[in-house]
Formats: sequence, structure tokens, C-alpha cells
Amino acid sequence: MTAIDPCDWCEEVLQPYLDRDLTDAERREAEGHLESCSFCSKRYRFEEGLRRLVHQAVVEPMAPSLKQRLAQLRLEL
Amino acid sequence: MSETSSDEARRLAEGARDRVDFEEEALALADQVYRVARGVSRSKEEAEDLMQDTYARAFRSWQSYTPGTNLRAWLLRILTNLNIDRGRRAQRTPDQQPLEEGDYFLYNRIEAATGETEEDRVLERLSQDHVAEALSAVPHDFRDVVVLVDIGDFSYADAAQILDIPIGTVMSRLHRGRRILKKELAEMAVESQ
Repeated sequence: MTAIDPCDWCEEVLQPYLDRDLTDAERREAEGHLESCSFCSKRYRFEEGLRRLVHQAVVEPMAPSLKQRLAQLRLEL
Repeated sequence: MSETSSDEARRLAEGARDRVDFEEEALALADQVYRVARGVSRSKEEAEDLMQDTYARAFRSWQSYTPGTNLRAWLLRILTNLNIDRGRRAQRTPDQQPLEEGDYFLYNRIEAATGETEEDRVLERLSQDHVAEALSAVPHDFRDVVVLVDIGDFSYADAAQILDIPIGTVMSRLHRGRRILKKELAEMAVESQ
């Protein structure tokens, strides 16, 4: 079996790790690596921050005029 | 009034009440639906048009909604279908999209371009405007999934139901969509140096 570079493996599991989508064994392996590898742990913390940024990307609230227009679309009784 | 016509009147009144309840519930969700509409649209105007078409269709077909099920997902299914109808078929299929870079690519590019080595400082190089612009450059099939899961907080299962695709496809599009987003962000962040 070819040995896989642990940082390459860690990069591959970054998304499933943050999605809590790894098996217990995989998660333990990732956490073990992250404790000892500042290269990967920085990139994981960066990714967490990036996800917060993406989550807030659409901050502009709906215009009140649009809300009114939507309410006007209600069917006549 | 005969008994038959009073039954009929009662049924009509109940139907009208159900409809009003539906409409009010749907309107109460408009802010959340708008977040997704804005995320999948290139502009505010496009998002507003999409919202109006979505609500007009929802109000017309309210009887096909099953009370007690997920109304937000039901509304977003209408929204994403309408969005697909709007000329999205001309887009390249996902298989023809270029391969994205790995998950560390964005960090590596910013670090190399700026010399920043602390993750907080690297993150500060990105703004919400960057994210919104990068998101609009992600192909629709991928963007829809990223917007539903990472902005709309839908589960994989809900996103699969809304988009009418298998859950495995949601996961693979999400994975690739996030990488494509980061590749777009890397170009913007490095260009704005």
C-alpha cells in the first residue's frame, strides 16, 4: 500500500470533518494530526472562519417594498 | 337556507381560512426564502423577480401543499424550479466544468501573495463582497447546493428534496461547489492586493 501524506489526507477530509461526516476512527485520526500539525490546523481554523463569512454573505435584508408586493399577490377572497 | 347549502357555505369558509393561514405562514418565511433567492441570483432585482414569481405560484397552488410538512422547503422547491426554467438549461453540465483546486488552495494563495501566516489575518483579506461576487461565479448546479446548505442551513436531505436530486449528488456538488467558490475567491483576493 502506498503511504499517503498525512497533510494531503487531512486536506481531503477537511470538509467532511467540519460537516461532522467522518467515522469515529477517521475523526480521531484527523484530530491526532491536527494537534501536531500547525500547517493543517491553521487551514482548518481558516476554513471555519470562511464558512462563517459565507453564511453571512447574504446580509442585505429584503426590501420592505418587496414584502408589500408579495402580500399583494395573495388571492382575492 | 337549506342544510346542503349551509354545509357548502361552511366548507367554503373553512377552505378560505386554510388558505389565509397558508398565505400568512408563507409570507412569514419570506425573509428566509429571500436569503436563498438572493444567493442564487446575480442581482437584487433578479432576486426580487424570482421572489414574486415564487410567491405568485405558491399562492396559486397552495392546495398542493400538505399542512404540517416543511413549508420552507416547499417554497424553495418552487423557487429553484423557477430558477432552472430561467434559461439555466443553456449552462454547461457539471461534468464539463473544470476541475477545482484542493481545499487548502485559497489559504495557500493568500498566504503566498500577502506573506500573512496567521489564519485570522489571512481571513481578513476576504470581504463579504468578495464572497457574494465569487458565489455568483460558481456554476448554478453547484451554487444552488452551497446556498441551500451553507447559507440557508438546510440539511443534505432537505436540499436533495428541494432540488430533486439524490443525497449523494448533494454531497458531491457541495464538496466541489465549495472548492470552486474558494478558487474564485483566491483569484479575487490576490487581484485586490
